[in-house]
Amino acid sequence: MRKLKIGIVCPYGWDTPGGVQIHIKELTQWLIAKGHEVSVLAPVTTEDENIEPWVVSAGRPISIPYNGAVAKVIFGPLASSRVKQWISAGEFDLLHLHEPAIPSLSLLAGWAGDGPMVATFHAAANSQKVANAIGTMLDPLIERITAKIAVSETARDTLKDRFQTEAVVIPNGIDTSKFNGIGIRAEWALPNTIGFIGRFDEPRKGLSVLLEAIPKIVNEIPNLRILIAGPGDSADFSKEVPPQIRDRVTFLGRISELEKAQFFKSISLYIAPNTGGESFGIILAEAMAARSAIVASDLPAFKSLLEGGKSGEIFASQDSSALAHAVIALLKDEKRRDELAEAGLARSQIFDWNTVGEQILSVYEMSLVGNTKVNLASENRFWNRLRSND
Amino acid sequence: MIEKILLIAFALVLFGWYLSALASRLDALHHRVETSWAHLDALLQKRASIALEIALSKGVDAATSLVLTAAAYQAREANIVERSDAEIALSQSLELILSDEDSTPSGIDTALLDSLKSLTEKISVGITIHIEAITSARHLRSRSIFRIFRLAGHAPLPMRYSFEDDIL
Repeated sequence: MRKLKIGIVCPYGWDTPGGVQIHIKELTQWLIAKGHEVSVLAPVTTEDENIEPWVVSAGRPISIPYNGAVAKVIFGPLASSRVKQWISAGEFDLLHLHEPAIPSLSLLAGWAGDGPMVATFHAAANSQKVANAIGTMLDPLIERITAKIAVSETARDTLKDRFQTEAVVIPNGIDTSKFNGIGIRAEWALPNTIGFIGRFDEPRKGLSVLLEAIPKIVNEIPNLRILIAGPGDSADFSKEVPPQIRDRVTFLGRISELEKAQFFKSISLYIAPNTGGESFGIILAEAMAARSAIVASDLPAFKSLLEGGKSGEIFASQDSSALAHAVIALLKDEKRRDELAEAGLARSQIFDWNTVGEQILSVYEMSLVGNTKVNLASENRFWNRLRSND
Repeated sequence: MIEKILLIAFALVLFGWYLSALASRLDALHHRVETSWAHLDALLQKRASIALEIALSKGVDAATSLVLTAAAYQAREANIVERSDAEIALSQSLELILSDEDSTPSGIDTALLDSLKSLTEKISVGITIHIEAITSARHLRSRSIFRIFRLAGHAPLPMRYSFEDDIL
């Protein structure tokens, strides 16, 4: 395949942590390693020297509430003209828009650009009413996109419902080599230790379901320990934990990528009690790559990630007794845990960037039309063509 | 009076502009159907030639070779009417031979099998993209304004091939 010049558009603030940003960053690094030329347009809060050389700032993002969380996005005339500038200066073979249905840069780029365009849809549905209201508004944009990618079956179904459009399912990528040859950390590896990673103050991550299950598990497993990692203040955190189980719970705060690998290697079981809003579950893919046994709630995204229970145990979402039951059974059965971990490790290979990146490249390849580059849509309008002929 | 005429003329111009915008939306979709088919067609042709190479490689028994050769030639020579059936036949023959390890003839070059596998993945991506373009075009054309004002012109209604549903 010939070397491409690719323009990727990120809708969310580049320097705020988030799944879409990480995905774009790793995809870009993979594409560059393959010899392609990539430029990423993103909203950036603070312009410092630490930012990657291939990121182009479209201005400072603003915070709006979206899909149960605060999203940092950017729009308006200034952003719009930055997008146009970036497209016309870039001479891209192809644009890759992420989340073009979010009111941010990708949407603007989709309107402004004309030529081969690929879009990735990450999120699962927001409310049906909102979706109906904006669905038809976005139809002309959706039509212009040559190929759509959904990160999971859940995201694909959402897309089908909202826009009657078909998408190729390509999962999010992870770097499985990050988890090779990483050892355990002794203080995290005590017997019967279970782990959770995520924001404790975000209800949809489901920490409360786990905390509710703990007394029931302790009845059967007296030496149970719980490790919790994620951003947030530890004083705020201890308020969330009932006093009678506080001495079993350790809050690690935010952990580095290396520590995350050690975390997965050390614990006996990884728990994902999420109650909704997940469209993929990258953390589960990483836990699998680190050969960790998993207990997860039965969200559609998790179910398909874990092959319906083959590579991880599944319990009814929000049901703390079902969770307790599953955890007790697995902690008592080392052989079963081992089987799940082994199945998960094998499964995780399909999420490696080398697999995922090639799949994305073949979508790129099929979206190209000869040597047509991406132009500004306004340049192709009748009166502008007339003008340029003068 | 003159204001009224001007107003009507303005409304007509506006409506005409709206119609032309709709027509160019559809035109872009038709264009996408064609290009996505061109990509898919190229991949399918490539698949037929790999099937042929497999058929002719050493260690493949005569019967297998015959089945594959016939299917591959049919897929390559098929006209637009026969195409769908020919592609189905080729998919089936390939599946028959390659579906499980035991029935795969041992002499086939693994590089050939690998490229067939990656090609198959690309074909399913190509099919999704092509079908998506067709559905969008048909969805847009189903609006009554397109019929009333004949915005589609003489362009044929994009059609799906039946092989696209159950290939591989």
